[in-house]
Amino acid sequence: MADSILSYITLAMILFSIGFLGVISRKNIFIVYMSIELMLNSVNLIFVSMGRYYESIQPQVIALMIIAIAAAEAAVFLSLIVVMYRRKRTLNSDLFTSLSQKDSNE
Amino acid sequence: MIDIVFIVLAFFAVSGGLGMILFAQPIYSALSLILTILALAGIFALLSAPFLFMVQIILYAGAIITLLLFIIMFLNIRNDSLPEEPHKISTIVVGAILLIPFNLLILKSFNTLPSKPMHILGQDFGSISDFGMELFRGWLVPFELISMLLLAALVGAVVLARKDKIDG
Repeated sequence: MADSILSYITLAMILFSIGFLGVISRKNIFIVYMSIELMLNSVNLIFVSMGRYYESIQPQVIALMIIAIAAAEAAVFLSLIVVMYRRKRTLNSDLFTSLSQKDSNE
Repeated sequence: MIDIVFIVLAFFAVSGGLGMILFAQPIYSALSLILTILALAGIFALLSAPFLFMVQIILYAGAIITLLLFIIMFLNIRNDSLPEEPHKISTIVVGAILLIPFNLLILKSFNTLPSKPMHILGQDFGSISDFGMELFRGWLVPFELISMLLLAALVGAVVLARKDKIDG
């Protein structure tokens, strides 16, 4: 079972679907963020399994790049969440409609 | 033996993911995500990627999710500021049914690949020196661009998260 690439791809697709369902079904902004992270991880799994299949090291380098981009995204996303929570006192992603600094006096 | 390890790791990964989207409290979701990420690190080790195994544990579980847990605890979220999600389960079920054809399409396209043994390779593949050679020979420009992106994200996070001035 662990000898075929199809089982790894199946696992990655299951994880990607779970992440996608998390993005579309939850309103808690933290869980939306974590679902995005889960989707990035499943894409990493596809890259690494294809790299093992073709015995090439390049997909692992791409996976490392994805991890670095996820780290940058984490910093910006979490600071945005902190600003929004300070301003609106909620975690509901439907209410996070304004990114502007100017018209935030409500 | 490898099959059993793979099945156990896959079970932990999927159950952690399901727990992540089903828990109401974000702190439990983050802990479930740590379970998923550690299981995926084990699967990277099965796929002869020891460097990514370490990066996944140190960077993902150790830095990114810890930062997330720190922010969740820092905000001190009460139960009444959690959003109400009345259609959560029904949306998940309907979405899962709608995603099945998409997944089958992708699996069908991967099924055309000729099957090849995927046992764990020895020292001659995936070692850290191979990885570093490939990273600094073939991927030097993307590597530098990533470093600039990280610097921009650092500055952006500091600018966004500071306290507003009084002038409004």
